[in-house]
Amino acid sequence: MDMLLNRLKELTNNKYFQCIQCGTCGGSCPYGAYTPYTPRRMILAIRLGMVEDILNSNAQWLCTACQTCTSRCPSRIQITDGIIPALREKSLLEGKVPEELSTALINIMRYGNPFKESPMKRDGWAKELDFEVPTMMKKKSAEVLLLPECFGAYHRRCKQATKALAKVMKILEVDFAILGREERCTGDHVRLCGEFALFEDLMEKNMKVFRKYEFKYIVTHDAHAFNALKNFYGLNVLHHSQFLHDNLEKLKGMFNELDYTVTYHDSCYLGRKNGIYEEPREVIRSIPGVRFVEFKRNRENALCCGAGGGGIWLDSVMREFVKVRPAEDRVREAKEVGADVIVTGCVLDIPMFEDALKVTGLDGEIVVKDIAELVLEALEGG
Amino acid sequence: MRIGVYVCHCGRNIADVVKVRELVEFAKRLDGVAVARDYKYMCSDPGQELIVRDIKEHNLDRVVVCACSPKMHEKTFREALKRANLNPFLFQMANIRELCSWVTQDHEKATEKAKAYLKSAVERVKLHEELEVRRVRINPRVLVIGGGIAGITASLLLANSGVKVYLVEKEPTIGGKMAKFDKTFPTLDCSACILTPKMNEIKDNPNITLLTNSEVIDVKGYVGNFKVKIWRKPRYVREDVCNSCFDCIENCLFEKPEFPSEFDEGIGKRKPIYIPFPQAVPPVPIIDPNTCMWLNGKKCSRYCMEVCEPKAINFDDRGEEIEVDVGAIIVAIGYDLFDARKIERYGYKKFSNVFTAIEVERMLNSSGPTGGEVIVNGKRPERVAIVHCVGSRDEGNRVYCSRVCCMYSIKLARLIRERTNAEVYNFYIDVRAFGKGYEEFYKKALEEGIVFIRGKVAEITDHPINDYEKSEVEKGRVIVVAESTLSNSIVRLPVDMVILSVGMEPPKDLEKIKRLLKLSTTPDGFLAERHPKLDPVSTTTEGIFIAGCVQGPKDIPDSVAQAKASAGDALTLIERGEIELEPSVSEVDKEKCSGCGICVPLCPYHAISMVRYNGRMRAEINPAMCMGCGVCASSCPSRAIKHNLYTTEQIRAEIRALLA
Repeated sequence: MDMLLNRLKELTNNKYFQCIQCGTCGGSCPYGAYTPYTPRRMILAIRLGMVEDILNSNAQWLCTACQTCTSRCPSRIQITDGIIPALREKSLLEGKVPEELSTALINIMRYGNPFKESPMKRDGWAKELDFEVPTMMKKKSAEVLLLPECFGAYHRRCKQATKALAKVMKILEVDFAILGREERCTGDHVRLCGEFALFEDLMEKNMKVFRKYEFKYIVTHDAHAFNALKNFYGLNVLHHSQFLHDNLEKLKGMFNELDYTVTYHDSCYLGRKNGIYEEPREVIRSIPGVRFVEFKRNRENALCCGAGGGGIWLDSVMREFVKVRPAEDRVREAKEVGADVIVTGCVLDIPMFEDALKVTGLDGEIVVKDIAELVLEALEGG
Repeated sequence: MRIGVYVCHCGRNIADVVKVRELVEFAKRLDGVAVARDYKYMCSDPGQELIVRDIKEHNLDRVVVCACSPKMHEKTFREALKRANLNPFLFQMANIRELCSWVTQDHEKATEKAKAYLKSAVERVKLHEELEVRRVRINPRVLVIGGGIAGITASLLLANSGVKVYLVEKEPTIGGKMAKFDKTFPTLDCSACILTPKMNEIKDNPNITLLTNSEVIDVKGYVGNFKVKIWRKPRYVREDVCNSCFDCIENCLFEKPEFPSEFDEGIGKRKPIYIPFPQAVPPVPIIDPNTCMWLNGKKCSRYCMEVCEPKAINFDDRGEEIEVDVGAIIVAIGYDLFDARKIERYGYKKFSNVFTAIEVERMLNSSGPTGGEVIVNGKRPERVAIVHCVGSRDEGNRVYCSRVCCMYSIKLARLIRERTNAEVYNFYIDVRAFGKGYEEFYKKALEEGIVFIRGKVAEITDHPINDYEKSEVEKGRVIVVAESTLSNSIVRLPVDMVILSVGMEPPKDLEKIKRLLKLSTTPDGFLAERHPKLDPVSTTTEGIFIAGCVQGPKDIPDSVAQAKASAGDALTLIERGEIELEPSVSEVDKEKCSGCGICVPLCPYHAISMVRYNGRMRAEINPAMCMGCGVCASSCPSRAIKHNLYTTEQIRAEIRALLA
C-alpha cells in the first residue's frame, strides 16, 4: 500500500490528493458507463483504503490510456500516466495480470517485441522492398533514423504502412537508415501497463544503441513510440505526419489526383498527449481530389481506437465489460460523416479499425490507410 | 550630543532571552549617551511618558529605542518625541526582538547581538537631521471608473455627501452587467426595477459628471492630486440637446435592425443608430461608425439628421479629450465572462442548442430580443441542462470559484421552469449557496422539481451511441454526458437546450488600467487589495480604491457593500483636506546631477522626471510620489541623490558599529 501511495505521489506530483470528485473523468472515459471504477471512483477508493476492491474488479485493466480524462481533468491530475499505471503495477506485483497481456510483456522482455518473433527478423519488412534500406550498423550515420517499432516491423498489416513510409522517403531522396535487428520495443505500452522496471530496462538498452550512431532525428509512424522517445527518452523525434508536413512543398509538386472522401482519426498520443492536430490534416488536404471531412468527435475530443496502454492485448478483459468496442463506434461515426477512407496517424489504429469494419459489416464501404500510404498512393498515382 | 537609550522587555518576549540590565549598562558607557533605561513595555503610555519626561529633564537631543520591529512602533515613538517638542526623526529603533530574542535561546549570543544593534543605532542616530513633514492639499473630487452597479453605488454615495464625482463608462450607457439580467437572486427582484432608479439618480445628480462612451487614457500625479485624461469617443449624437424621442432610430435607412446587438449578447439585433436598451442612461442614441452607411462613405440620405428636431445628430463628431483633476480614484471596471468557446467539448457556437447564461438572461428579459420567451431552434425547450463551473474551478482555465454561478444557475432554472414548464437539470460539482437567503432559494428550487445531478459535464455531443439517442438527436437534441457521482453511473441526457454557467474573468481593459494607475494583481488576475481582510478596498497606490468584481468575483450584494466601503475610504481621505507627506524620501542635488537619466526608468513610482536647470537637463523627484524606496539613490553614478533618512554617512556609521 505504501509503495502504491509513493508511486501515486511520484507520478501525479502529489496532485491526486487534489481531486474534487467532479466526475469529468468518468463522463469522458470511453468505458465510463461499463467500468465499476471510473478514475474518480478509483481515487475515492484509494482514499478510503479500498485498493484491493479496485484490483479485484479488474477495472485497472479497462483503460486504453486514451488521455481524455487526463486532458479534461480540472485538477490537472495525471490519471493516464499516473493513477492507472500505479494501480496496474500493484496488480502485476500481486500476480493478477490478464494472460494475453502477461504473454506480451514476457515476450517484450525476452525478445524485444510482443510477438515472440526473432529480433533477427525485425528488418524483414525491408527485405520485401525492391530497394535496399540501409542499416545504421553499416552506415554509421544518416540524417534520419526510421523507427518502425514492433507493430510496424512485424505485424502483417502494419508492415505495409512502414514500407509505404520507406518508399516515400526514397522518393524524397532522404538520407535515412534503420536499426534493423538492433531495434527493440520502446516500451510506451509497457510503461502504461505499470511495468516500470521493464520500461527502464528497455530505455537503457535502447539508449545504448541510439548513442552508437549519428542521426539528426528519428521518424516514426507509431504514435506511442513517438511519445516515449519524445517525452521519456528526450530524443529529437518527428512523427511521420510532421515529417511529411515538413516536406509538403516538395510533395505537392508530385501528387496525383485521388478520388476519396477522407476523414482523419486523431490518435490519442499525437493529439491529446502531444498536441499534433494540424500537420496531418494539412498533408491530407493538400492532395488534389481528396474531399476532407471531420469526424464529429475530433481533435482533443476524438474517440480512442482502443489499442493504447496495452489495450491491444486486453481484448478479453474488455469483453468482460463492454459489448461494443470503441473502434466499432468509431468506424460507424466515419460512416455517419460520409467517409470512404479513414486515415490514421498511428500504426496501431489500422488493425483496430480493420477489425471493427469487419465486425460492423462496413468493410466493403470504408478502408483504413496510414497517412504514409495515402501519400504514397498520391505519389504513385491512384 | 545627548542621547537617551531605552531597552524594552516586551513583557517576557525580549527580557527572557536578552539580558536587558546588561544592555542598559552597556549603553551607559557609550559615547554621547546621557540616559539609558529599561522598561517592561516601552510602547505603553507610561513607557512613552518616560521618554517624554527624560527629553525635557535631561535635555535629550536624540532617542534610541531597543524593542521590536520599527514596522510595529516607530510611529508610536516618533509621536512621543513630537510631544516632547523634539523633531521626530531624531530617533532610531533597534529591533532586538525579531532579530535577537525570537531567533535564539542562547542568552549570551542574543545579548551580544542586541548590543551590536544598540550601538549601531546610537552611532547612526548621531547623524540624523531634523526633517520636516510637508503637507499638500487634497483635491476634493473623485473619479469613478466603471458605471456598473459598483461604480453607480460609489458615485451616488459620494455625490450625496456633497462630493463632485466624475463617472467614466466605456459603454454608451451605464448599468453594466446588472442591466442585462432579468431577475436577481435570491429575491427574484426584477433587475431593471431596482437598478434603473439608481441610473436615473446618476443622471439627475448635479454633483455627478457622467461621461459615457469614454475611456481613461492617462493618469498623472499622486494621492490628492491626480490629473486624469479622458477620451470621449464620438457618439455622433449630442447629449446636451437630444430630447430622447428616438425618431432618428425609427427613420434610419435600415428599416429593420440587422446588426448583432452588443447589449443583447448578439441574440438580438440593432440598427446602426440605436439605444442599447430602453432605460439606458443617458437616454441618447449612438451611431456605430462600423455599420452606419454615411460614416462608411456610402450613399445615405441621412434621414436621422433630417428628422431630428433639436439638431442633435452630428456626423462631424471627432471625440474629445477631457482633462479633470481629482483627489481620489475608485476603480470599478467589473469583469468579463469566460469565453465558453475555449472548452470546445461543450459545443458553444457549434450547436444551436448551447447558450451562455448571459444570453439566456437576455432571452428571459421582457425587454430583450425574444420579449421574455425562451426559444431554442424556433421552439420552447422541453428539457434543459444547466452546466455549472464552466471555466471556473478548472486549473486549465480559472482555478477559482466564480461565486455567483451556482446561484444564477438556480435562478435561471427556476425562471425557465416557471416560463416554459420544461424539465431542468443542473449538473454541478458543489452547490455553493453561501449568502443570506441563498440556501433557502436553493431549497425552493428543489421543491419546484428542478433536478440536481452531482457531476461536472464531460461533454456535449450530437453523436448517438444507440437507437434511442439517434432518434433524440434527429429531433434536434444534443446529449449531455456526465458521471452522476452520487449514483456512480454515467448519465447521457438528451436535451433541447444547454445553458453554460460561465464564470468571471478579469476584464480585458484591466491591463491598461493597471498600467495607468500602477496597480498590481493577485495570482487570479484580479486587482490586489492592500490587505485581503483588513484593508479590502484600498490598493498599494495611495488614493486609489477598488470596488466590485475587479477585485474578484462577487455577487450584487457584495459589490454594493464594497462600493460603499470604497466610497467611504475615498471620503475619509478627502475629508482630511490635506495629507502629510513622509519626509523620508530622496532628493536630487541638481548641482551634482549629470543628467544621465538612469534613475528615471528605475523608479517604480514614476516619481522622477527630467527638468531644465541652469540650461541643462537634471533629474527631479516629486516628493509627493516618492515612496522612499531608495532605488534611485543607490543607482545614481554621480551620487547626486540622497535619501533623507538613509544617507551614505548614516548607513556607514550603522555598519561600522555593527562590525566593530
